[in-house]
Amino acid sequence: MITKSGGEYPYLMEGFGPVLAYLYSWTTVIVLKPSGFAIIALSCAEYASTPFYPGCTPPQVITKCLAAACILIITVVNCLSVKLAFRVQNFFTAAKLLIIFVIVVSGIVLLAQGNTQNFEDSFTGASTSFGAIGLAFYNGLWAYDGWNQLNFITEELKNPYRNLPLAIIIGIPLVTVCYILVNIAYFSVMTPVELLQSPAVAVTFGDRVLYPLSWVVPLFVVFSTFGAANGSCFTAGRLTYAAGREGHVVRILSYISVKHLTPAPALMFNGILSIIYIIPGDINTLINFFSFAKWFFYGLTCAALIVMRFTRKELHRPVKIPIIIPIVVVIVSCYLVLAPIIDKPEIEYLYCTVFIVGGLLLYVPFIHFKFNWTRHIMRPLTMHLQLLLEVVPPEKIK
Amino acid sequence: MSLTKVTNIDALELEDGVQNAAFQEDEDRSRHEPAVVSVTGQEEVAYTQIKPYAGMPKEVLMLYSKQACYRVPREILFWLIIVCTLVLIAVTIAIVALSPRCLSWWQVSPVYQVYPRSFKDSNADGVGDLKGIKEKLSHFDYLNIKAIWISPFYKSPMRDFGYDVEDFRQIDPLFGTMQDFDDLLASMHDKGLKLIMDYIPNHTSDKHLWFQLSRNGIEPYKDYYIWVNCTEDKPPNNWVSVFGNSSWEYDEMRKQCYFHQFLKEQPDLNFRNPLVIQEMTDIIHFWLKKGVDGFRMDAVKHMLEAKHLRNEPQVDPDQDPSTVDTEFELFHDYTYSQPGLHEILTNWRVEMDIYSREPGRHRFMVMESYDYEEIEKTMRYYGTSYATESDFPFNFYLMYLPDALSGNRAKELVDVWMKNMPEGKWPNWVVGNHDKPRIGTSAGREYLRAINMMLLTLPGTPTTYYGEEIGMVNVNVSVIQDPFGKFNPNNSRDPQRTPMQWSDKLNAGFSDNETATWLDIAPDYDTVNVEAQQADSNSIISQYRTLSLLRGAELALSRGWFCYVRSDANVFAYLREMDGKQKAFLVVLNFGEDTVTDLSSVSELPDVLTVDLSTTPIIQKTFSKSRIPTSKGQGLLLQYSTDKRFHSNHASECYVSEKACYFSALDILYKC
Repeated sequence: MITKSGGEYPYLMEGFGPVLAYLYSWTTVIVLKPSGFAIIALSCAEYASTPFYPGCTPPQVITKCLAAACILIITVVNCLSVKLAFRVQNFFTAAKLLIIFVIVVSGIVLLAQGNTQNFEDSFTGASTSFGAIGLAFYNGLWAYDGWNQLNFITEELKNPYRNLPLAIIIGIPLVTVCYILVNIAYFSVMTPVELLQSPAVAVTFGDRVLYPLSWVVPLFVVFSTFGAANGSCFTAGRLTYAAGREGHVVRILSYISVKHLTPAPALMFNGILSIIYIIPGDINTLINFFSFAKWFFYGLTCAALIVMRFTRKELHRPVKIPIIIPIVVVIVSCYLVLAPIIDKPEIEYLYCTVFIVGGLLLYVPFIHFKFNWTRHIMRPLTMHLQLLLEVVPPEKIK
Repeated sequence: MSLTKVTNIDALELEDGVQNAAFQEDEDRSRHEPAVVSVTGQEEVAYTQIKPYAGMPKEVLMLYSKQACYRVPREILFWLIIVCTLVLIAVTIAIVALSPRCLSWWQVSPVYQVYPRSFKDSNADGVGDLKGIKEKLSHFDYLNIKAIWISPFYKSPMRDFGYDVEDFRQIDPLFGTMQDFDDLLASMHDKGLKLIMDYIPNHTSDKHLWFQLSRNGIEPYKDYYIWVNCTEDKPPNNWVSVFGNSSWEYDEMRKQCYFHQFLKEQPDLNFRNPLVIQEMTDIIHFWLKKGVDGFRMDAVKHMLEAKHLRNEPQVDPDQDPSTVDTEFELFHDYTYSQPGLHEILTNWRVEMDIYSREPGRHRFMVMESYDYEEIEKTMRYYGTSYATESDFPFNFYLMYLPDALSGNRAKELVDVWMKNMPEGKWPNWVVGNHDKPRIGTSAGREYLRAINMMLLTLPGTPTTYYGEEIGMVNVNVSVIQDPFGKFNPNNSRDPQRTPMQWSDKLNAGFSDNETATWLDIAPDYDTVNVEAQQADSNSIISQYRTLSLLRGAELALSRGWFCYVRSDANVFAYLREMDGKQKAFLVVLNFGEDTVTDLSSVSELPDVLTVDLSTTPIIQKTFSKSRIPTSKGQGLLLQYSTDKRFHSNHASECYVSEKACYFSALDILYKC
């Protein structure tokens, strides 16, 4: 319905007005996106370094150095060329599919050899409580989070009306099929208990099946996470860019590099924040608390869809979805936001809420009232940065 | 819709450049509308004036951005980032290359021996079981113990309480079912605990199917055991069993003698037969596949015997040969530690290594072999430079501490191991197990805390026999259950096998059985129990826990240098230090009478030492190194901070398994 880049942002803007949209971009630009990038970079670094430390955790310095290097490389690549970033993405996605293919094929071979004992009574001991199902949904949905990433780059898609749904229609079943096939492969060599207890299932699988080539699994896992980090960086840049364009963060973030035609300032800003986030001891735990914010905004976005069905009937909707879907998503989001908080109320949720609402402190003076003195600082700063980075405001979309 | 909006925004961009460099809000648009007129005017001016401004378009920008003052920093920044990235990667590679091997789970945690009959009874039959162990897993969390060795629970007629195995692939119904075992293993792994099983290669029960087939002469089982022609009254030679009397037993059915190093119900397997080795290897695979984390190999030195069957020489040549009926009256030149043994064990290690490939899943192998004076035989189980064998053989030498308890004796026994251990290997310490009297009885209760402190602060892996953490002692049981004890009550092992004391409730919380438990509960259970001691911060268990946590947290204790500082009639003192760490520890253990130790001659120690833990309550928080008072049985863990290293000046007094130095700025270890 809305073909602009920036994920949920334009929907919130249209549906609920600028304040909520601002809070969304505030939370996402400052915390969710860079920290997501940082976490993926950290896990990439962790996967890359653990093989050298069998039996114990690698020292923090190593993961942090590697994660920082990973962030720098990806940011530089993304700043230099969109094409290069795409190539990186394609290469690593291909690597990921290749290892999945290897695992699936060896799993099929094993099954053909008759290793089927783990499939008998697969569902014994499965619990069916309401909470467990909710949790299963939470984890299941996480695996399919990719669908949302496309929304961030709508503008850069060729023919989005055709390609966006196409990508989703191909992507989700592909992920689903791979996911199921890989798990079937795992069960050909592991009992459900072993599967649950393995810290890295693919690595365990590799150790058991692919030896002496078991090192390929960790290597390809590193590739896969690196690709994911690249994707995260790519979309994060677009979101920051969109938010900058709307004036919800400093405008220079929406500028485009003259030479490379990339949203370089947005990418750099995202990269710098990510590097800052990997410095403190254990950011993961705190960041986890922000995931409720993510679902809160997902829910709001879908609520916006519903609202707009009634308030903006006149809009042209290239892709129309049955209204029941957003309603379901809203309900699920409510559950996912509230369940963990009710289940285990912790003070950190309050901190997160305070932080999100705290964004208004900046909103009121800088955006709503626009005090004069802010310009005196920002104008020369923007100018010099523009000259330094060779970036200009985006041109009209032709 | 979107197109119109974008246009608006872009119009604003231009306007912004002139009028508003900061933020723009959609609703403000109307307010700025009048300005738009002037925008066009100013825009032209902007182009002609050619002055850069915030939000300038490409055309303006390109005029200025080539200037040196922008170009040079831009280039510098770019290359700086590239260099930064390369440096970060180089640093990572350097650290990885310099890192010493990390400690495996069996090095990090003490090994805790559970005697399943006596640990916890879940079904009120008076005997402990696997479900009971599962109920008590939180006990290990509390003690910060990760490695649990459970004495045998295979199907067994229980003539030697599980060391006579009827079926290596089944659980004895007394202890539970295979499902119970799977559940136990799963919940242990969920908690990050490792399960070490007993593995009994030397013999099976006479009820084992193999033996039944063997005594009937059925192939291929005929030579699974050691059969020798003999008559009913005359054994083939003078070999005696560990439990006493001849190790040959005449079998009516086969009209031959079979060999047994332990009870006659425990016939020895014939490890000269490749089929037997294969069978026993398959059993290792069976349990490793189930996910078991290691094996304690029982009585390995007994596995092979000389084929020639010559008489063994008597210790006292003048003794009447017909009265020779105990283990210590013969030199076991032909029945213990025979050539070929280590080849079998090394091959088992190779099989176990197949399962160790997954990171963090090292399958642990520990040997049980009492070699007394011939310590080099024990050390051989560490393997050689060309073939790895066990991770360590149990070090039983500290069990001789009570024979002549003193500071000197403690040092001597510790040094026996440290001096003989091959370089780079990992030491370990045992003061009790199901075969030996509890240390609290043999050494005296008053020394228990100091002994625990010694175990947990010496370098290497300590083994804790269940109950040592609460200070259990031998119990005079009313009915002897141990078959070895039935042969000679002085040899009964029941006193050290009494049920674990969990609380002051019925049967010490061990069992809900109203009538009796399989062995009597210790009379002191109302005070010596887990529950009561956990509530008391000065109790043995609390001190054990503190030390165990400290051992896990302090590099100096887990993998640092170990140096003797002093030993005399009363006191044994040693220190633990780590290169690159200022913090070091001095341990002063009193195994004699009240005394004051003067360490002023040790120049590397600073003058003031801070008390980290004292096993007896003391008020003083710091000691001068010239006056360290200890009372009888007191253990003192002192902490100090210095840059001086003791080991660099006293190389002969110090040991370390693998050298590593700490680099505090990056919080890493490196090879040095």
